[in-house]
This record gives sequence, C-alpha cells and structure tokens, in this order.
Amino acid sequence: MCKQRNSYFAVKTIVSRSFVAVSACAFLAACSLIAHYDQVAYEHATSAKVDTLALMDKATGSYDEHQKEIEALVTELNKAYEYDRGRSLNKITVAQWDVLRDPNRNLVGGFLKMWKAKGKLSATFIAEKKLQIADAFDQIIGLESGKQKPSEVKQ
Amino acid sequence: MANIDINGLLKNVEDQTKALAQKQFKQYTQQAVGDVKDLLEKSKADLKRWVEELARGEMDKDEFESLVKGQLDVAEMRALKQAGLAEVQIESFVNGVVDIVVNAAFSAIKI
Repeated sequence: MCKQRNSYFAVKTIVSRSFVAVSACAFLAACSLIAHYDQVAYEHATSAKVDTLALMDKATGSYDEHQKEIEALVTELNKAYEYDRGRSLNKITVAQWDVLRDPNRNLVGGFLKMWKAKGKLSATFIAEKKLQIADAFDQIIGLESGKQKPSEVKQ
Repeated sequence: MANIDINGLLKNVEDQTKALAQKQFKQYTQQAVGDVKDLLEKSKADLKRWVEELARGEMDKDEFESLVKGQLDVAEMRALKQAGLAEVQIESFVNGVVDIVVNAAFSAIKI
C-alpha cells in the first residue's frame, strides 16, 4: 500500500515538473529578448555608412564650404537613429548609434566637431578615421543582420 | 489514458537540449573569441602605424588622440554587438528547446 502511494507521488511529481518545464519554455518562447531583423534599419545604416565616408573625404577642405552637406548627413544619421529608437527591444542598437553620433566622443560626431573646430583636417588622419568609422558602422550593420529574420521567428 | 513514459520523454528532451546547447553556444563562443582576437591584433598594428604617422608630422596630436580614443569607442560598439548577438542566440536556443519538448511529447503519446 505504502509502495503504491510512493510511486503515485513520484509520478505526480514528474508530471508536475514536466508541466512547469513546458510552461517555462512556452513563456520564454513568447517573450522576445531583442528586436527582429528590419530591412529598413539595415538600409539606413548601410546608406549612412556610404554617405559618411564620402563626406569625410572632403574634410581636407574647409568646414564652412561643406556645411550644407554636413547638415544633410547629420539629418540622415538622426533619421536612422530615430527609426531604430522607435523599434521595441532595440536598446542595444540605439546605444551603438549613441556612441557613433556623440560629438563628445571620437567617431562620426567627434569627427564633425573636430572638423568644425579646426576648419580642415589632415589627409592621413581622414584616411585612418575612415577605417575606424567604417568599422564602427559595421558593428551596427553586423548586429542588425545577425538578428532573427521574419522567416526564422517562431509565432 | 494512454500509457506515457514520462521518464523516457524527459531523458529524450534532456539529451536533445544538451546537444543543441553544445552546438549553438560553441559556435557563438568561437565567433566572439575570434572577434576579440582580431580586434587586439588590429589595434596593435593600428597604434604602431599612428605613432609613425605622428612622428612624421602627417597628423597632429589632437588627431592622434582622436584615433586612440576612437578605437575604444569602436571596442564598445563591438561589445554591444556581441551582447546583442548573444541575446539572439538565447532566443534561438529557447525556440529550439520548445521544438524539442513539443516533438518529444508528441512522439511519447504517439500522435
């Protein structure tokens, strides 16, 4: 009798644990941790990369002469940033844009601030900075393309 | 009620989950470690070249400093990318486990 009771409790425990495990899996599957891949965000980042590197080539010339192009680039970067900021579960990508755009740091924002302060920059510096900024953009692009594609997402 | 081998089902789920974890996280870890190694090697070569360019007067001190600090900013962006990709891996792993549990349950009750 006692043996029968013990085995009844053992089965009951196993069934309960299985139920908890399956429920936990279902709950976790329902909760996304990070935004899924977005083609528009990917295109914003790749396009901003190309335009930024093209404008940087002009920094051997005077900042004032290129002010309109600089403003257009800043607007393009702001649009890409705002688009990503509007996506849910996208804090990491937004943090990447923050580093890239911040004028008090040393990527695109810092480069434009330095150009404005100095008037023009050396060709060697521009060439080196372009490699660095291309690498920085690649971190945003790499994260976006590593996100789950709609076809891979479980409903 | 059908006679279900719960122990067998759990063992099946456990084995498949272990295999999935080993495959997915090994691949991710190798990629992340490779990324850091590349960064360190690249940074060493970059710094050497910048010092030489500074010494030749091809750039000024502010520009040199901006490159050094910029390298740290890129490293931060790289770390953010790795953190994001880790979240993608975890999500994909959880989805894989759900598949394993559902398939094992269905095969245990022979539907």
